[in-house]
Amino acid sequence: MITRRSFLGTAGALVVAVSAPVPAGATTGGGGPLAPTVFVRVDRRGTIVATVPKPDTGQGVRTLAAVLVAEELAVGVADVTLEQAPGDTATYGPQGIANSTSARQLAQPLRTASATARCLLVAAAAAHWDVPAEECAARDGRVTHPRHRPLPYRDLVADAAALDPATVPVTLTPPQDWRLIGRTRAGRADARDIVTGRAHYGIDTRPEGGLVAVVARPPWIGALVESVEDTGALAVPGVVAVVRLDPPGAGQGGVAVVAGSTAAALRGRETLRVTWRGGTPDADSREWLADLAAALPAAPPGDLQRVYRLPLLAHAPMEPMNATAHVTADGLRVWAPHQDPGGLATQLARQLGLPEASVLVNATLAGGAFGRRIEPDPVAEAIACSRATGRPVTVRWTRVDDTRHDSYRPMSVHRLSATLDAEGVPVGRHHEVVTWPLTVLPVFNNPAIVRASGDHFPYTVPGEVSVLLRESPLRTGFWRSVYAGQFGYAEECFLSEIAGRGGHDQVDLRRRLLPADSRLRRVLDVAAARANWTRGVDAPLTRGVACHLDYGSAIAVVVTADPTRRRVVGVHAAVDVGVAVHPSGVRAQVEGGIMDAVSTVLGAQVTVRAGAVVESTFGDYAWARITDCPDIDVAIVPSTAPIGGLGELAYPPAAAAIASALAAGGDPVTGMPYGTPVG
Amino acid sequence: MDRYRLHVNGRQREVRVPGDTPLLWALREELGLTGPKYGCGVGACGACVSLVDGQAARPCVRTVEESEHTRITTIEGLSARGDHAVQRAWLELDVAQCGYCQPGQIMAAVALLARTPDPDDEQIAEALRDNVCRCGTYPRIRAAVRRAAELARGDR
Ligand code: FES
Ligand code: FES
Repeated sequence: MITRRSFLGTAGALVVAVSAPVPAGATTGGGGPLAPTVFVRVDRRGTIVATVPKPDTGQGVRTLAAVLVAEELAVGVADVTLEQAPGDTATYGPQGIANSTSARQLAQPLRTASATARCLLVAAAAAHWDVPAEECAARDGRVTHPRHRPLPYRDLVADAAALDPATVPVTLTPPQDWRLIGRTRAGRADARDIVTGRAHYGIDTRPEGGLVAVVARPPWIGALVESVEDTGALAVPGVVAVVRLDPPGAGQGGVAVVAGSTAAALRGRETLRVTWRGGTPDADSREWLADLAAALPAAPPGDLQRVYRLPLLAHAPMEPMNATAHVTADGLRVWAPHQDPGGLATQLARQLGLPEASVLVNATLAGGAFGRRIEPDPVAEAIACSRATGRPVTVRWTRVDDTRHDSYRPMSVHRLSATLDAEGVPVGRHHEVVTWPLTVLPVFNNPAIVRASGDHFPYTVPGEVSVLLRESPLRTGFWRSVYAGQFGYAEECFLSEIAGRGGHDQVDLRRRLLPADSRLRRVLDVAAARANWTRGVDAPLTRGVACHLDYGSAIAVVVTADPTRRRVVGVHAAVDVGVAVHPSGVRAQVEGGIMDAVSTVLGAQVTVRAGAVVESTFGDYAWARITDCPDIDVAIVPSTAPIGGLGELAYPPAAAAIASALAAGGDPVTGMPYGTPVG
Repeated sequence: MDRYRLHVNGRQREVRVPGDTPLLWALREELGLTGPKYGCGVGACGACVSLVDGQAARPCVRTVEESEHTRITTIEGLSARGDHAVQRAWLELDVAQCGYCQPGQIMAAVALLARTPDPDDEQIAEALRDNVCRCGTYPRIRAAVRRAAELARGDR
């Protein structure tokens, strides 16, 4: 349903703006009206331009926009030019990417705007020829009629823009006529720029006269700057200033060395002498985990119990944190690979007491985000440095900075208990969670919210889920799938263990516990069939299964592993995401979630010793390499359901299926990574 | 500041930086070649991989000084029209997610194919094992390297 459709016949171009409400269930933690607005423009040269309100961090929202606009305007995907909207919620509505909402929020307005433009162009041609609009069709950038020479859009734009849109009925292209949605073989938008090195990420921003800053960061958690000896740093050629950053206004705190080049800034940082105070120099993640486990309430009754211990995880996006800011007399300009340019602009205007119109936030491409880039700390640092120097400043985090000063996925301890019937089938369950809130968003300091984020148990087993929150000893934040990554992992691992103990097949038991007509059961059947589940595997290979229902989508994952080599050999996933607009992009998001699972179940975790994060780069934060990559098969199950969320769907079940497969050849799953001390 | 002459993408260029400046920063900030990405600065991620004398190299751990008298090729210099077999294969198989690691992956694949025109999966994995892709595009990278080998041979 369309709530607002405005039409702007601006000079020389046909512009349609549409915002639509969001389907039920697609909410973010931020509140506010959930109606992003898109603009689709056809100019006098026939160029089709779509403004994408949300940034692309690799989740593919720009590609999604190109496909939908091309479909409704009857052109090729490559014929659509994409413009990235700056941060401006007054114009574009909410622009944040979180909770796998990009497709769910944008598909409808994008289609409606483009279909409106098409219908206006068709109406203009019909009027020109004096024929009924129904006799005309739009094809390949032209309007055709059986008895007339086709008219290219560019010749119709002026007439179309002069029409009263209220008089032109708008029809969306019906699914049976889709050429592109769900069918296109087009690749990612910007792919050509990416393979030629021309794609511009936040880190590539270098405004005229711009400086670079790197920051000496707290050597242990919570440390604050006591004093700075910067004579040496200021003597380094190229160093322009040393700027003290005090939290929370200027990010996480530290001392910035601002210079004409990154190399000079890094040299300057090496010579800086900073004295630190406060904080928790003795913190140790093993003790944190023990504290969480000790807080578990007395065990509830049950026939089978298992406790799972989950570690800290870092986001480690490939492009380390960075931001560029220029504070001037009349406002602020920011370039940032950020997940919510509009929210950022509003927040900065409020913090700095500036009118929103004088804060310009440019949303660049981002080299991954995974939840980390919803936070503004690098931007705050860049603003402080620009203020101090009067120049545009890019703050670059080194990889070590990025790994050691993240907002981590919280540690958690889960106790699962099941009551079993005579056949060993669960008939009752308890899931008790002790974890930390997300310090980056205070609303998460609430067990009910944490529970709502994590608990998506889809099976017909009645039970209780309880959440106890302990104070977080370090910064915690959104990490792909948020709490569902932890809850779902524990629940699905436990269900596979129950199956194994009761002599049930992992797939059969799940089928028994799912309604016959459920989307989840359908994807489970597809994944099992593609994996040849009933045929089984030969030793030493083992298998694991898991399912997940969330974000309006369903997924099942079947994993084949070789526990003797601690390797994932093959993965079959089946997804129902409603309409899979860009199939290659849908598969990519599932593949990405699976690789995150390979990484975190086989070895990557963050540990804290003597107050500091131990891991520093991809050398010791053991993220998966191509050598760890299994064969991955992703089946998209045809579906008539509304568009569902995708980016965070695959991680929880993939992790559980991998751990369950490894456990089928050895010790039960007791945490993450599998078979490794946690913390 | 000293002057160093660098031979980059077929052209002689000059940079004025201290000799121990990492080549990556000279390429990115002095010469404006931002195709090679910064991912770690210590040779541990592969985002910066470029060719030095035809071999895959990590400009983040080479100095400007030791790069004189070498021939450097960044992703910008790989082909005039973005149509190197590896680039075509990357487009055909829609490899990139965020895309940030991909210049390094592509240049590592180019170096591999130059010495091993028809690599098997193990050789691909061996050559690219230190090129991290945080988004998890490895299955497509593997397939795209095989496809690039075909394209380079002129197969359809
Ligand atoms: S930036 Fe050179 S290997 Fe990571
Ligand atoms: S595509 Fe994002 S890191 Fe490789």
